[in-house]
Amino acid sequence: MACALEGLSVIECGPNIAASYASKLMADLGADIIKVESPAGDPARTLGPFPGGKADPEASGTFLYLNSNKQGVTLALDKPKGRAVLDRLLADADVFIQDYPPGEAEALGLTYQRIREANPRLIMASITPFGLSGPYRGFKAYDLTVASAGGWTAVNGWPGRPDMPPLRAFGQQTAYQAGVNAAVAVMGAAFQQLKTSRGQHIEVSAQECIVSILELTFVMWSYMEVPAVRWGQRPIHPIDFFECKDGWIFVLCLEEHQWKSFLDMMGNPEWGEWEVFANPFVRASNWDALKPLIQEWVSEWTVDDLYRAAQTKRIPFAPVSTMADLLNSQHLKARGFFAEIGHPRTGDLKYPGAPYKLSGTPWELRTPAPRLGQHNEPVLGGRLGLSPEEMASLRKDGVVA
Amino acid sequence: MSGPLAGVRVADFTWVWAGPTCTMQLAHMGADVIRMESMRRPCFIRTLPPWPDGRPGLNRSGYFNQYNQGKRSILLDLSKPEAVDIAKRIAAMSDIAVENFAGGVIDRLGLGYEELRKVKPDIVMISMSGYGKTGPESGYVSYGPAQVPLSGMSTLTGYRDWPPMHVGMSYGDPTAGLHAAYAVLASLYHREKTGEGQYIDMSQCESTMVLLGEGIMDYTMNGTQPPRSGNRVPKMSPHGIFRCAGEDRWISIACGSDVEFAALCEAMGRRELADDARFRALADRKGHEDELETEIEAWTLTQDAFELRDRLQAKGVAAFPPMLNRELAEDRHLNERGFFVEKEHPEVGVRKHAGIPWRMSATACEVWRAAPTIGQDNEYVFGELLGFSSDQIADLVAREVIH
Repeated sequence: MACALEGLSVIECGPNIAASYASKLMADLGADIIKVESPAGDPARTLGPFPGGKADPEASGTFLYLNSNKQGVTLALDKPKGRAVLDRLLADADVFIQDYPPGEAEALGLTYQRIREANPRLIMASITPFGLSGPYRGFKAYDLTVASAGGWTAVNGWPGRPDMPPLRAFGQQTAYQAGVNAAVAVMGAAFQQLKTSRGQHIEVSAQECIVSILELTFVMWSYMEVPAVRWGQRPIHPIDFFECKDGWIFVLCLEEHQWKSFLDMMGNPEWGEWEVFANPFVRASNWDALKPLIQEWVSEWTVDDLYRAAQTKRIPFAPVSTMADLLNSQHLKARGFFAEIGHPRTGDLKYPGAPYKLSGTPWELRTPAPRLGQHNEPVLGGRLGLSPEEMASLRKDGVVA
Repeated sequence: MSGPLAGVRVADFTWVWAGPTCTMQLAHMGADVIRMESMRRPCFIRTLPPWPDGRPGLNRSGYFNQYNQGKRSILLDLSKPEAVDIAKRIAAMSDIAVENFAGGVIDRLGLGYEELRKVKPDIVMISMSGYGKTGPESGYVSYGPAQVPLSGMSTLTGYRDWPPMHVGMSYGDPTAGLHAAYAVLASLYHREKTGEGQYIDMSQCESTMVLLGEGIMDYTMNGTQPPRSGNRVPKMSPHGIFRCAGEDRWISIACGSDVEFAALCEAMGRRELADDARFRALADRKGHEDELETEIEAWTLTQDAFELRDRLQAKGVAAFPPMLNRELAEDRHLNERGFFVEKEHPEVGVRKHAGIPWRMSATACEVWRAAPTIGQDNEYVFGELLGFSSDQIADLVAREVIH
């Protein structure tokens, strides 16, 4: 069975993980990705996690996860000869995705104005923290500051504890969000390219990617002039964490029939009929009073028993999963969510798989992430046709690692 | 409608947040998205705030209006066979169908993939259920807020030595919506090349798990998971959110190198800290992070957050205050970039909404219209598109097939 994106040729480079994630999404559906790293290697090689905690650029979990199914070459883009080789790769490609900050991209000649000369039908995506225009375009940024600039950290924290700081979510979520947005936009443009052979430039702002997923926080201001508060704008309850005998459970009743079923489950305690808990909005106002009542009842249960019992009644409770819970989940096993692949340095490992199954075209892990410069010969020598002498000279000049 | 998907039509059976986020991406790129809504069970987020003047109304929710920009809405009663036939006629004229009911519901309505492909053999259809269409928990109910804890994100997020935490939004919803849009577009690309449509089974909670690669790989490599560490990370220091002057005002600061840390020390007027043995290199700073953060916060406490941001940025230090919603709405950068969308809406007037987080140079993307009022496009869809006469429409309304 052919993959959905078979034949789509993508070149990816940049120091952040947004471009890596965008092209990973495409690689796993069969696109042909060439990842261009600097001779020092993608910074994701330093991020870990590492087996046994021992730093190893060939065994960083972040890098391995993001770069399976790709071919890797090294090129020093700060040298004219490196750029010339990149231009030759771009000449035959369909898509170019890069995430250098605007100033660095310009210094490296990675502007659409220049790139389009190499290949007018190329789709180029530039992923940056703040976009390519506007007063913040040159601002320095990392995940934490982008999450703040996008309004996310301001709504994450502990309710009722203003002494605790606004909080980030785990990982590098702003880069992942920018990456998936870029993949969406690139696929839209690639559909157009199939029909018209038209190339174009896409710019993606990570800050805007975050502002556009703030649930009802942003519109709370533009519709009601209600300021943002920590832990989101929770206009209704119950939506909260509770401690069971053996771990945490997430108690959630969004729709009123779910609350009614929860009351039934609890043996219809009379406080369910009190006016102060009569609807989701007053339950939110009186949450300090309701929460301990629920906690008392929940603490008699194990997580798994309560989860199954609630779901039997169509109440959308969920366990608060650890990584071990995910790897041991019978449900995820039955769906084949985790994918296993070998790697010379780490051996066989399970990776997160795909969140979707396409009936006619597979998602698959075919090859592990490339070792640094692993595909210099097949790509630069084979595909571009550089002679052994040219390759040797590029190596001597430090253009290719 | 403009954009790379101009001419593409979407039969939109979605509701709440995840599904509508998927179809909004398609609308952003110029697809004609027709949301089929129910008066008996209106979209849940039409019933949620914020509402202008605090007055509820199905067409007044800012939450709904944010995530349904640029779509059409029609009203059908899908419990009636005739309405199901009408929905099928719309699907037959569509390229894409999207639904996010709980597992199995769309099949019971008679609008599953096997039915839709009979009327449109090359349709691309996606089901976005909470747990996916297979597996022992496939029939479970799930909503975005629960997918944060379910996916494992909550046990990774939180203050040091505190309980697991949420992330401040129903993160599973937009994450599922965006990954769904990507899978749909990859399938549309494949269809354009081969003529073949297909069916996509998407699990919303898995779409959050794929964003936790660092945590999951730590477990599969080492049998451990990263501890909750507040705003700290292993490879950067300082990396935190520090209190500033004023009530509940803060600034996030992250230094990715010793050079950036030295620039921060200079901005603090404490150049000597960069040479302090406790703070000189990353490993030193990680070993004395409490002391380092105390030094920094003693300084930020006396500073205005926004002035501090500009001073630190001028020195090449990544810094930004956690933006409140009002500050985002008034932010000069976002406004100058034309990010916000303010279209006339018949019931809420002109309101500010978050717009499209990307720009395309050749096939410009824009929101062509505000979110629809419920059933706003009955006339266009039933009359113009499906060709029903006004008598036929009146008859369907009288029999409550459509509303």
